Amino acid sequence: MTDAVLATRGLVAGYEPDLPIVRGVDLAVARGDFLVLLGPNGAGKSTLVKAITGLVSIHAGSVTLDGAEISTSPIHEKVRHGLAFVPQTENVFTTLSIEDNLRLAAQVLPRPGRAGRIAALYAMFPDLAARPRTRAGALSGGQRQMLAVARALVVEPRVLILDEPSAGLSPKVVTEVFARLAAINATGVTTILVEQNVRAALATAASRSGRAAILVEGRIAHEGPAATLADDPIVAELYLGARREPEPAA
Amino acid sequence: MSPQILVDGLIAGSMIGLGAIGVTLTYSILRFANFAHGDYLAWGAYFALALSGALGSLAGGALAAPIGPFSFGWSLPLAALAATALTAGLALLVDALLFGPLRRRGSSVIILVMASFGAALTLRSLLEFTFTSKPFYYTGELQIAVRFAGMRATPDQLLSLAVALVLVILVHLLLTRTAIGREMRAVAENPGLAGVAGVDVRRVVRTVWALGAVLACMAGVMAGLLIQIRPQMGLDLLLPLFAAAILGGIGSVPGAMLAGLIVGVGEAATVAVVGAQWRAAVAFVILVAILLLRPQGLFGRSDG
Amino acid sequence: MIDLFGYGAFFLSMALTYAIICLGLNVQWGQTGLFNVGVAGFVAIGAYASALLTTPDTPDRLGGFGLPIVAGWIGAALAAGIASFLVGALTVRLRADYLAIATFGVAVMVQLCLLNLQGLTGGPFGIGFIPRPFAATATNPALFAALNLALLLAVVAALYLGLERLLRSPWGRVLRAIREDETAARALGKNADRFRLQAFAIGGAIMGLAGAAQGHFIGFIAPENYQPMLTFQVWAMLIAGGSGNNRGAILGAIVVWGLWAFSAPAIAALFPPDQQARAAALRIVLIGVGLCAILLIRPRGLLGETRTVSRHLPKAKPKP
Repeated sequence: MTDAVLATRGLVAGYEPDLPIVRGVDLAVARGDFLVLLGPNGAGKSTLVKAITGLVSIHAGSVTLDGAEISTSPIHEKVRHGLAFVPQTENVFTTLSIEDNLRLAAQVLPRPGRAGRIAALYAMFPDLAARPRTRAGALSGGQRQMLAVARALVVEPRVLILDEPSAGLSPKVVTEVFARLAAINATGVTTILVEQNVRAALATAASRSGRAAILVEGRIAHEGPAATLADDPIVAELYLGARREPEPAA
Repeated sequence: MSPQILVDGLIAGSMIGLGAIGVTLTYSILRFANFAHGDYLAWGAYFALALSGALGSLAGGALAAPIGPFSFGWSLPLAALAATALTAGLALLVDALLFGPLRRRGSSVIILVMASFGAALTLRSLLEFTFTSKPFYYTGELQIAVRFAGMRATPDQLLSLAVALVLVILVHLLLTRTAIGREMRAVAENPGLAGVAGVDVRRVVRTVWALGAVLACMAGVMAGLLIQIRPQMGLDLLLPLFAAAILGGIGSVPGAMLAGLIVGVGEAATVAVVGAQWRAAVAFVILVAILLLRPQGLFGRSDG
Repeated sequence: MIDLFGYGAFFLSMALTYAIICLGLNVQWGQTGLFNVGVAGFVAIGAYASALLTTPDTPDRLGGFGLPIVAGWIGAALAAGIASFLVGALTVRLRADYLAIATFGVAVMVQLCLLNLQGLTGGPFGIGFIPRPFAATATNPALFAALNLALLLAVVAALYLGLERLLRSPWGRVLRAIREDETAARALGKNADRFRLQAFAIGGAIMGLAGAAQGHFIGFIAPENYQPMLTFQVWAMLIAGGSGNNRGAILGAIVVWGLWAFSAPAIAALFPPDQQARAAALRIVLIGVGLCAILLIRPRGLLGETRTVSRHLPKAKPKP
């Protein structure tokens, strides 16, 4: 707990003041961890990560990044503190070129470091380096997702949060994206992954000895190592069974 | 079309274009049609009037003496510069008092439009209260028109046209070549994602208000120089500004300027062919046509 | 005593004509969320249509046709309703504020036509000698005023009851659903646009009727009565009363018209006679600041919105 890079305490958040969707979440993510957030539809996974990043208003509780309270700082300040977020949809600027998407994000960095950081990301994502002038709107789903991840990495974040990066991608591309996330995590970036694609996400987290947490009705119902959670009967019942649309456990 | 109509239209259109750039920028970033924008034009013109009057009398009239072929002395360009700062301040003040609080409360587009309508009438009536509805002029000097290829235009008119074109090019470069321009384009597309990408959205909003107000002030000074200064001038220009912003495609700076020129030439042609009393109908006809045929405008994206 | 009664009746009658405009605007904005910046234009269309139909034949312009006042009022509602329908059809599928811009354009255009189409509108001097209801009783001012007030009261009451019924009808409930529930609106798709358009046209027709009622009550009309200021006043009335609420619309009209009428002598007294134009401008500043203040401080208005209808709404489901 002392080594938690990101922690929430009693976090309550939602879109309407009298309608909290996240209802008291205590979460501590250790440095370098790979955490998968699971839960049925409407459990508040997306809202939780949006509240942490500042896109959804927090009603109560705290969010700390390396011990510093960040729940009240504006979104762009959180990015400067090393908290990067990849939204599920509309996660790149379609009217800007690949280059401009990255340069926009690099404006947070000190001027001398910007070009070098973008070059480093191009080296990491050769697909993007091949055509920096292309408008992001013209990219395929997988390429867009890569650009969104690259954009988030520009600031060399301490914590990278992704909201369902596999949504809408073909199985082959999903495998690619997850392999990439594991590689990024291996460089020391703490990773939080919200996913519906439970098997692949748990497998990826397990490969990094990561953990998983299950959110039900706005609270954390279950938490443990990703490798053992995959075999857990509760998880099996909720996600891995025959039922495609599980109801929240009563 | 006679070349003279074209010249008159381009001169009037360059003022409309400058104003329309402000409308299109604030519209694309703040996502509402600001009915008070015309009154920023008028306030800019009156700021410059008050300042140039003060400057002209200050230095024993030395600053009021006409420069070269123009009708005005150094007092006007100096006053115009200071007026742009004051108009930007006015736009920021209105945002801080009215639009900002409404935005933070998550008010709908229409509440913002309504508030801007209220701000417009308030600003206009404040001008009328302070200066009365009597028309003013920056200068009493008469000018001799320059003739070329069968057309004529006064030096003031040609200067205004040139200043407008230079300003458009500067704004276009600002938007496409600079960091703040990139941030403005990002906020226009997706303010939430812009914040996630580390952009200080509130700073971008303030920049856009200031930029729109500076252009409005310049357009107002030109309108005051070439026609006259009246409290109603903003109201009269509002429909042409909206028509040009929509015709050019919301968010497009070159589009707004080109559309402004089209509206201006349309007005000049109407004045020549139908009669001056129908000038104001041109913007409406263009507006209806564009809404019917191509609502996203000439340079707009259909998802706009 | 007679004077006081006469003034009171006049004040209340004028306030009621504004209340009719407010009820029309409430159908458009309060119930449907359609923003009309050209209220003055639609009121003018109604006023001029009725004047043309009912005034005696005049040599230097078209008509008048000397028809009964009732025919004029029906014509007014039809003309303004059709104009609203056309503007609505142009913009209803576009962004919300394009409708605002288009209606603003209509008001500018109407103003231009009033001034320039002299053969139709009488130009800047407008149209006089518009027949007044109960003209036969004009020799008895008190009776005349009372009868006119009663007529306007009856019109407002009839509109109020009719609109309340409409609001609780299936049609009104769908309208409410479209405004309050984005998903429902999307699920209805093109049908949602049709409902919006119907509401916009009905609201416009009521404004036209109000214009006619006002014109016949005063007896003459001129372009300067239909400036953006009128739109603004009606907005202030509806917002103050509480948009979405028909009783609020009527109350707002009376309160704001009262403030407007009584502030005139108060503000005028602060200024010397040669500065009266300034006093008039200051009055507009005050009402502008007032409107913005209401939007900021009490956006639901004096009465707020009655939510009884929407509570009974069935949950809208997307089409399969």
